[in-house]
Amino acid sequence: MTTLTTLTEEALTGASDAAGEPTWLRDRRLAAYKRTLDLAWPDSRADEFWRSTPFAQRLDVERDIVAGGGSDSPASFTADLDVEVAMARIVDGVLVEVTVPLAMVAQGVLVTDLSTAAAEHADLVEPALGSLTSSNSEGTGSGADRTITVNDAAWTAGVFIHVPAEVELDAPIVIQVHAETGGAHLPRVLAVLGHHARASVYLEHTSGADTDALVDEVVEVIAHDAAQLDVVSFQQWGSHVDHLALQKVQAHRDSRIRHLSVTVGGRTVRFLPETDLIGPGAETRPLGVYFADEGQWFDLQPYVRHLAPRATSDVLFKGALQGHSRTVFRGNIFVDKDAVGTDTDENNKSLILTEGARADATPFLEIECSDIVAGHGSATGQIDALQLYYLTSRGIPREEALRLIVTGFFREVFGDVDLPGVEEAALTEIDERIAAADLSRFQVNDASLKDHHDE
Amino acid sequence: MADLEIRGLKVEADGTEILRGVDLDLNQGQTIALMGPNGSGKSTLAYAIAGHPAYEVTGGTMTWKGTELNELTPDERARLGVFLAMQYPVEVPGVSVTNFLRTAVNAVREEDMPVREFMQTLRGEMAELDVDQSFLQRSVNEGFSGGEKKRFEILQAALLKPQLAVLDETDSGLDVDALKTVAEGVNRLSGPDLGVLIITHYTRILRYITADEVHVMFEGRIVASGGAELADELETGGYEGIRAAHAAGV
Repeated sequence: MTTLTTLTEEALTGASDAAGEPTWLRDRRLAAYKRTLDLAWPDSRADEFWRSTPFAQRLDVERDIVAGGGSDSPASFTADLDVEVAMARIVDGVLVEVTVPLAMVAQGVLVTDLSTAAAEHADLVEPALGSLTSSNSEGTGSGADRTITVNDAAWTAGVFIHVPAEVELDAPIVIQVHAETGGAHLPRVLAVLGHHARASVYLEHTSGADTDALVDEVVEVIAHDAAQLDVVSFQQWGSHVDHLALQKVQAHRDSRIRHLSVTVGGRTVRFLPETDLIGPGAETRPLGVYFADEGQWFDLQPYVRHLAPRATSDVLFKGALQGHSRTVFRGNIFVDKDAVGTDTDENNKSLILTEGARADATPFLEIECSDIVAGHGSATGQIDALQLYYLTSRGIPREEALRLIVTGFFREVFGDVDLPGVEEAALTEIDERIAAADLSRFQVNDASLKDHHDE
Repeated sequence: MADLEIRGLKVEADGTEILRGVDLDLNQGQTIALMGPNGSGKSTLAYAIAGHPAYEVTGGTMTWKGTELNELTPDERARLGVFLAMQYPVEVPGVSVTNFLRTAVNAVREEDMPVREFMQTLRGEMAELDVDQSFLQRSVNEGFSGGEKKRFEILQAALLKPQLAVLDETDSGLDVDALKTVAEGVNRLSGPDLGVLIITHYTRILRYITADEVHVMFEGRIVASGGAELADELETGGYEGIRAAHAAGV
C-alpha cells in the first residue's frame, strides 16, 4: 500500500493509466509528485499559514491512501427538497455514483468523473485543473504547500462540473464525500462556470462514526464573467477525521461568489476558502458558521485576493465553542496596488459557551492600494445575561432561551442567503450540538445587567 | 389577602440598598399607579417582581396569590401570569419576532397553540396596536425605535395575557399619539382578571389610563398613598412637596 509519504512515480503512473487518463494529466501528476519531493511537510513553527494548526501533533500523514472500500453514504440533506439535484458520490476514494437530472443534461451541464473528463473534455479540463494550486500561486493554499501538492499528484476520486455559458440552474449540484475506511482520502473537484452561468455546488463531508482518516481535499472553481456561484461546504465528519481543505475560487469580471462553510464535525479541520478576484467588479462573500466541541480544533482561513479594480469582498465567520475545543480564525485580505475602488470587510465573532474553550482571531489586511474602503473586526464573547433574562421573563424556560440565543447568533451569517435547504440544514446541525450539550454549564456574561437599570 | 402582597420588601443592586421596606397590595381587576422621582426605587420594585438577576431581595416578602415570587425563576413567574413591560426592552439578534412570540406564548400556555390560530391572533393584535406587519421578520427589538419597542412590549402582554402587568415607564419617550395607542392597548387588556401596576415619573399616562390608587415612592419607601387626586397634586406641586415633607419627618 502507498501512503502520502511513500508515493512513487510507478504507482502514480499505474493509477493514472488504469483510470484511462490522458498523457497530459499523467505528466501533470508526475510533475506535482516531483515538487512534493522538494517540499517538507509543514512546520507549524516556521510556516506562517500553519502556525494556527500544529501539524506534527495533530495530523498523521503516514496513512495508506484509500481507493476503494464502501459504497454507501448517508442521505443528503437535499433529499427532502422538492428539487431534483445532480449528485456525485465519492465514497472511500472512489467516485461510486453520478446522477444528473435530464433537464440539466439537456442544458449541456456536465457532472462527471474527472479522469474521464480529462480525456473527453480536455479543452475544458486541461487549462483549468491545477491552475489555482500551481506553484506560482500564492496564499494559504499555495503550491508551495506539500499538503496541496500531494493532492495534485495523487488525488484518487475527482468530480468535474461544467455549467455552460448563460445556463442558470435552480437545483444544486451535490457532491458527497464520505469516508468509511480509515486512511488517507484525496478527493478532488474542478468546476467551471461559463459566462453568465448560475449554479450552486454543495459539498457534504461525512464519515463513519469510528473512521480514523485524514482527508486532504482540493476544490477548484472558475467562475467566468458575470457568473453567479454558490459553494456550500458542510463538514459533518465523525470525531476521528482530520480534514485539510483548500476550496479556491477564481472570480472573473462581475462574477458573484458566495462561499458558505458549516463546520461541526471532525477532529482537526483546517479549512481554506479562498477567492482570487481577478476581474473588475467581481464580488465574493466567504461565510462560515462553526460549532466546536470537546477535542475539536478548527482552523479557518478565508483568504481573498483583490487583483482587479472595484471588486467587493465581505467575510463573515461566526463560531460557538464548548468543552476543550479550539478555533482559529485567520482571515486574510490582500489588495493589489492596481485594485482601486476595492470594498472589503472582514469579521469574525465567537461565542464561548463553556469554560475551557479557546477562540483566536486574527483578521489580516494587506493593502498595497490607497483608494479603497476596508474594514475588519473580531469579537469573542459569551451569552448575554440580559438577553437571557428578557427571553425568560416572557415565560421561555432557560434552556430554550439559551438555544434561541445561540441559533440567533448564527442567523446573521445566513442573512439573505436563500439557498434551498441550506440554512435549515445548518441550523439543524447546530441545534443537535446544543441539544447534546449540558446547558447548565453554559457561561453567561452579566456585564450588560448593570447598565440595564438606572434607579 | 391581596393577590399581590408585598411586605417589608428590601432590595439591593450592586451592593446598594435601594428598596428599604416596601408594602403594597394589588388585586386582579385593579389598576395602581406607582409614582416617584428619579432614583426613588420604583423601577427596582418592577424588576424585583419580575426577577431581574441584577436585583437581590434581602428582606421581606412578595407573594402572588400566596406563592412567594422570590423563590421562582423569571420564566416561572411569567408562567404564573406576571408580566413586566420593560423600560429598556432588550435586543436579541437573530431571534425573529414571530419565533420569539410563538415560543413565549406556547411556554406560558403550557401547550402549543396551532400555528394558524397563533398567526391570526398575532396579526389581529398587531393591527390593534398599529404595529407594522414587517415586524414579524425582524429580530426582537433590533433596530426598533423607542416607540416601536414600547408598543412591542404591549403587544407581548396582549398575547401572553398576564394576570399581573407591571408597566415600567412605558410612557417615557412616546409622543402623544403613540402614548394614546399604548394606553388604549393597556385598557383593552384590562378587566377583572388583570391587575396593572403602572410605574411612571409623569402623570400624563394617567390621563388615558385610570388608576384606582396612586402611591408615591421616595428613597425606597412608599411615602404617600391616595386616589387619583394624588396624581393631580403631583401634577401641580411636583415631587418637591413630598421631598420636603419627607425631610421634615412628616
